[in-house]
Amino acid sequence: MYVRVGLGPNAENRNFGGLSVKDLKHLIYFENLLQEANNELVQKARADGKYAVGYTCYFMPEVLLDLPGCFSVRLRAPRCTSPDIATYYMSARVCHYGRSLFERALEGGYNFLDAQMATETCTVTCRFQEHLQKKNLDSVADMDVIKNDNFFCEFIDVPFKKTENSYLHYKEQLKYHVLDKLHERFGIDSSDGAIMKAIEQHNEVCRLINQIGDYRKLDKPTITGYEFHVIQLVSLACPKELILPYLRETAEEMKTREPDERWPFRCKVVLAGSENDDPEFTKLIEGCGAEVVADRYCYGAVESRIPIVVKEGQEPLDAIARHYLDTSNCPRFMPQDIMRERKQRLADLVKEYKADGLIVASNKFCEYWSYERVINTVVMKRDFGIPVCSIEKEYINSASGQLRTRFQAFVESVEIKKIQEGK
Amino acid sequence: MAKKKADIKKLARDFWHGKPHGERRLGELYKDKTGLYKHREWRGVKDTLYYFYMIWLYNYIFMVKDIMEMGGPINFAKGVWRYRWVGQTYLPVLHWFDRGMEGMRGEALRASAWHYRGMVNETIRQFQRMFVADTKLHGGKKTDAWYHTMAHNETVWGGIFYPWSDHFDNVAMEMIPYFVTCHVNSHTVHNYIDAVQSIGLPGDPCPMCQAESGLFVLDDMPDYAPFIITSNEACDASVATSILQDWFYDKPLFAMPQPMQFDDPLVHQHCRREIEECWKFIEEQTGVPFNWDQLVKKLRQQNQLQEFEREKWEVAAKTPYYPINGVAQALYRIYYSQDGDRPIWHFCDKKVRKILEKCVSKKINTFPKTRHRVIAWSCAPLYYSHWCTWAYNCWGLNVIINMDSLMFDMSIRTDTYDHCLDDMATYHMWAPMRRMAVGGMHHIFELWEYMEKFNCDFVMMYDQLQCKGMQGVHGLFEDEFRSRNVPAIWMPHALPDSRTVSRAEIRRIVNDYMTTVMHEEPLDPSLLDFDDSMGW
Repeated sequence: MYVRVGLGPNAENRNFGGLSVKDLKHLIYFENLLQEANNELVQKARADGKYAVGYTCYFMPEVLLDLPGCFSVRLRAPRCTSPDIATYYMSARVCHYGRSLFERALEGGYNFLDAQMATETCTVTCRFQEHLQKKNLDSVADMDVIKNDNFFCEFIDVPFKKTENSYLHYKEQLKYHVLDKLHERFGIDSSDGAIMKAIEQHNEVCRLINQIGDYRKLDKPTITGYEFHVIQLVSLACPKELILPYLRETAEEMKTREPDERWPFRCKVVLAGSENDDPEFTKLIEGCGAEVVADRYCYGAVESRIPIVVKEGQEPLDAIARHYLDTSNCPRFMPQDIMRERKQRLADLVKEYKADGLIVASNKFCEYWSYERVINTVVMKRDFGIPVCSIEKEYINSASGQLRTRFQAFVESVEIKKIQEGK
Repeated sequence: MAKKKADIKKLARDFWHGKPHGERRLGELYKDKTGLYKHREWRGVKDTLYYFYMIWLYNYIFMVKDIMEMGGPINFAKGVWRYRWVGQTYLPVLHWFDRGMEGMRGEALRASAWHYRGMVNETIRQFQRMFVADTKLHGGKKTDAWYHTMAHNETVWGGIFYPWSDHFDNVAMEMIPYFVTCHVNSHTVHNYIDAVQSIGLPGDPCPMCQAESGLFVLDDMPDYAPFIITSNEACDASVATSILQDWFYDKPLFAMPQPMQFDDPLVHQHCRREIEECWKFIEEQTGVPFNWDQLVKKLRQQNQLQEFEREKWEVAAKTPYYPINGVAQALYRIYYSQDGDRPIWHFCDKKVRKILEKCVSKKINTFPKTRHRVIAWSCAPLYYSHWCTWAYNCWGLNVIINMDSLMFDMSIRTDTYDHCLDDMATYHMWAPMRRMAVGGMHHIFELWEYMEKFNCDFVMMYDQLQCKGMQGVHGLFEDEFRSRNVPAIWMPHALPDSRTVSRAEIRRIVNDYMTTVMHEEPLDPSLLDFDDSMGW
């Protein structure tokens, strides 16, 4: 018999829900890769002469950072629980995620980065990235955080709408601030041919992740939310080329994986919300009896693993710009119709994944999601009849007894609802 | 005998001129907790009479006259009955004057009061326009005024609507219900903050945004226009607030956010196109075409306001003859530069110009007890904007200039459409709370440049506890203050929410710094500690 293995050092905590299907071959390896930003595969790619390019937000298309000669790393700060120096610089009143990233940077955890491709898409990650940037101003001293002579940090401006003006602007930003800079600084080939190659690789990752993730749509899913979360994260945090063989093998392995005879969960939920790169949080939810079957949050797969389609005759960069604006469900899009579409999208996910409810989680001090969570909590229940559990969380949550109580109560309420409906 | 004679002489002098600064003991005028006066301040015969007739009485008369002329008493009465924010703030207006001009004398008193008059008039115009057009006050009827009013977010500059200003009026949604009210009455918006938290919003997002959302949650916003132009007010919580407001309002909407990376020339091009798209949207909604001549006319008028502002700054920066106190300077400037061209600003500027010229030509030292020339940076506490008046009276801290005043330092070119659009895009992007507060590092640290330009030797660093953008650079400011050896006080506050950091707490922090770090004695010890927790 196998037990699920989590990131925590405490083996007793690793079993959740009594699940006993055969363990995925690479799961422990994946978990280990997530222990550090500068993991084994990142080190290998750098040793092969590739440039490591960091980013934090979906609006920085990872596909462009995966052009031949460089690779993307979506930044995380695993196990950072006490960001003291970052708190001096950013105060204790900003989100723990931004502070944790900065603390990790100050500790030297991102010295492997050759570049940071930044977006000013939420205030605190913007400030974090500004701290990394060499500004050469007389008015404020540079902090010289990243100890790497190659390092530079470049910002793009991301529109708040999805109009033709927005697409054009976004495309120009990507061209000037990402492609041209990577070419100037590192000699990266940013031709259409190179972009197409990167898209091809990106789409293969998407196809594999979706193939794996689709097993969550089964009546008795053969993969847990936790496992999928780990797999999705390694696809963001490791060089694509090096993680692909493992993903291929995992996708193959999934084809023959059999579920437990007795489904060990009590209900299924869609998890939506702000930044979440902590699989322990998913594990916490699943430990309370709610299987996480879809992940519509920052770092989740719902948007980021939709393949990019380049129409015939279309410029690849144009396709990328449109893809990332069109697929994003980020609450920073302001127009009303898009806000309403976001709610519909959540309802559709609940239906598609046969979920019984929705958990909306916002990181403490995340202003976008504080509001979005309020609206979701009201609208999803009122207009779509979907039970909603609305919570506020920290960046690292595994030990939260309060959250455990909330989730347990939610699972019970969903169960009661199902009993009342005769299901 | 000689002593008695001297006493009588002094009494007569105090009667005629008012007590000199240092002997006034202004803190003893207050009734405990309320901040109300036991009796009015005696400023000497001339200034007391001026205050009574030309400020107090004059403004009361004009507050009534303005109501009569701009929508009439019935609409006003309906509005007071329906919306608590106006009822709670209309009557304390003159107390707001008193707080802002406490201890002021001579030309400083006069010039500062004209600024307040301008703001009161424009405030009345805006809320009366809302009430005249409001369907909620007219049994659901969409009046002609409703069809001819454009609603917009308070950080969408009024200049965007100039091309239609000969046929339509524009009123910012939050400017009066939220922004102005909490200056006048520090308790007004608490219930709006509580309201939005009651539907599940946590307490940590920016309290300004919370209050603005709460207005909609409690249905305390007039329905006065057929469509809205909204913006991001340049921060995350404001984006989210706009979305929540749109959800409640459910009207045709054009979102025109201020781009974030505004120094980037490509962003500038994008912003130009956004403004043009906004104009198209207005044309579609109103059926009235864009009027270039009207735009040029209004922009030229607005440029006149900016030209005078620069003249004022010149005097403030280089002489001790600047007759406008810190609070009047800050509020008037941000009000008109965001609101846009209105006749009242020109009227008040004309009055102030006369006073300014008199001060310069006669070399009148308007704030003679100045010990430190202060620059105030970041966003100010709205419920204690008159802290500048207190700080001058108590410590001789004279606020010469502040960040909000400096944001829109530009004239708009009107020689060609291209130049005009270029400058309008810049103006739009330099939005309040954007250019310096949550703008890029370069702009945030323009502090030193302006400090030198205005000959300031002291920084009052506003510390808006829930502003993520400014909190994110807190440590860098600490480092810079230390390395540059600049005396700076961090003033914590929560914009409109006076419950988070009280006025008394703010005073205590300033007092502590002045005694323990600067080793200075107060000019008026009666102002060190008093309880105004229940005050407006």
